[in-house]
Amino acid sequence: MPSILALTIVLAVLMMIFGGKQGTSSFFSVLLNFGILFVTVILISSGFPPLLVSLFAGICILATTIYMGNNDDRSTNIAFEATIIVLVVMIIMIVPMDHWAQIKGFSTEQSDEIEAFNLLIGINFEKLAISTAILSTLGAISEAAIAISSGLQEIIDQNPDITKKKLYQSGSNIGSQIMGMTFNTLFFGMFGSDLALFVLLAKVHAGIGYCINAKIFVSECMLVLYSAVAVICVIVITTFLMARRLEKQQKAAAKAKKQESN
Amino acid sequence: MSKKRTLIEVIVLLLSGLVLYFFTSHDAFLYKQDIGQVIKVANAKPVQTEDAYENKDETTEQSLTLKIINGSRKGQTIHLKNQFSKSGAYDQEYFKGQQVFLKLHHDGGKLTAVISHYKRDTYLIMMLWLVVGLLYLTMHTKGLRALLSVAINFVIFLIFVQMDVDFDFTNFFWLFAISAVLFTGLSLILVIGWNKQTLVSFLSIIIGTTMAMAIGIGILNLTGNNGIHYEALDYATQQPEQLFLSATVIGLLGAVLDASTDIVSTLFELKRTQPKISAKQLFKSGQGVGHAIMGPLINVLLMIFFAETFAIAVLYFRTGNTYGYTFAWAMGLGVAQALISGIGITLVIPTASFLCSRFLSGRRAD
Repeated sequence: MPSILALTIVLAVLMMIFGGKQGTSSFFSVLLNFGILFVTVILISSGFPPLLVSLFAGICILATTIYMGNNDDRSTNIAFEATIIVLVVMIIMIVPMDHWAQIKGFSTEQSDEIEAFNLLIGINFEKLAISTAILSTLGAISEAAIAISSGLQEIIDQNPDITKKKLYQSGSNIGSQIMGMTFNTLFFGMFGSDLALFVLLAKVHAGIGYCINAKIFVSECMLVLYSAVAVICVIVITTFLMARRLEKQQKAAAKAKKQESN
Repeated sequence: MSKKRTLIEVIVLLLSGLVLYFFTSHDAFLYKQDIGQVIKVANAKPVQTEDAYENKDETTEQSLTLKIINGSRKGQTIHLKNQFSKSGAYDQEYFKGQQVFLKLHHDGGKLTAVISHYKRDTYLIMMLWLVVGLLYLTMHTKGLRALLSVAINFVIFLIFVQMDVDFDFTNFFWLFAISAVLFTGLSLILVIGWNKQTLVSFLSIIIGTTMAMAIGIGILNLTGNNGIHYEALDYATQQPEQLFLSATVIGLLGAVLDASTDIVSTLFELKRTQPKISAKQLFKSGQGVGHAIMGPLINVLLMIFFAETFAIAVLYFRTGNTYGYTFAWAMGLGVAQALISGIGITLVIPTASFLCSRFLSGRRAD
């Protein structure tokens, strides 16, 4: 049996045992996201415009991650809205940044790996790098958005008369905890996936002056920094949207009460 | 927090950004390698190309005039040629005003040069500034503490990488496994503090990670690494299988850390508000928190590991490789890494819930 299939089966079984019903739907959301990513690569390879394909795939991935495995509509709708706004903000930031920093394609360190290929393949690698950057942030922003919106919803449920200011305070408290942990997840994820690269750079005695200008090092760091900005934005925007809705509801409730007393 | 103070903070941050931008775009004097600034560009006519797979592309040759802006040759101008393609997989087009690192050499008394790499430090530092600035504006010192824990871990990580290179251990997997234990302890102490909660989190993370790695390695061995191509690992300078496992252990740790702290801190909070809560109820609540975060967390890792393979996968597809071949060689290792991490995240949920319920039952949380 192929090892990857065996690992997938074990993951599925474990998620069903320890995750119950939600575990099953979470497993399918991971599977579905994998499918979307795979189709995205195929579409880009067949010549579809990378940015448009990724934008569409991005929205699908956000919807899958947020709506599958979470049942509370009140928090999921706000989380989805916030992540879509952040997706747009990220595109506006990443498109010029990737162009200025020129972090597209392959680096000198990868020359062994690609020397067998003819690289003139007619795909715009700058747009491909932008797509990669946008898609890699999606996991982190949807996780943060869900965590903060369901956390705030819990607080509103416990105390429906909470003031907007207090809600912002809670948003900031929950947000900073989520941020601390998400940063760790992102950075360990990056150290993990780039361990071999760091070992190589240390072996050739690459100094800091080389690293902070080298394509491969800068592009890996940029991916993490983009995700960090995206997570900060999503926390602020989700809190803002929750507060705005709370205000509307409180006004509506006050109005209804007034009418009743009249 | 008054509006006026926030406004002053924003202005100070923006000013510091401008200063930083100015400095990093004029920091050539800090580098030993020669840096040239492009002062004139002349592009030749593009040449159309087509390969065996009918991929159409375009290459253009440009003649560049550069002025050296640092070192002993400061002020000298040199001429060189650069070739770039429309797709830009391994090359780039240069524009007037850009700065590049040069490798200078004398050719029959005449000074010539090749471009070694583009100068990117300005953009990296500006992004770093943006992250620090946003963190400070939204979370104040708490946000900066999160950043501090990452910075400390990064330094430790570099020390371990250096140790690996210096001592060249045969079983270097254990070196990185130890580093993972250190990362866990330090992150927990910095984020949560030196208390019982950290101890319970630490234990559940170590148990969860160890079980996931044992299961992962067990399955890989049982299936005889069928379809896993360790030789496809990028930049491998050491035994690739061990390198892959070391990378997996570190990558997995962040997500397990995230999951277990979520569960443990919720359960400690629950115990504080309802001191009479039963062990069974605690275990159940822990599971509930775990169920909600499991899916999103596994997705975070899937995105990180998968997005990295985009460029190489497109290259495989465009040069006539099948889906199966591309999956096995370009994506297989990333997917395996994400799967093992997923197993870790799933296993830490019952572990953390169980340890908390044992630890907190009958005792007061403080």
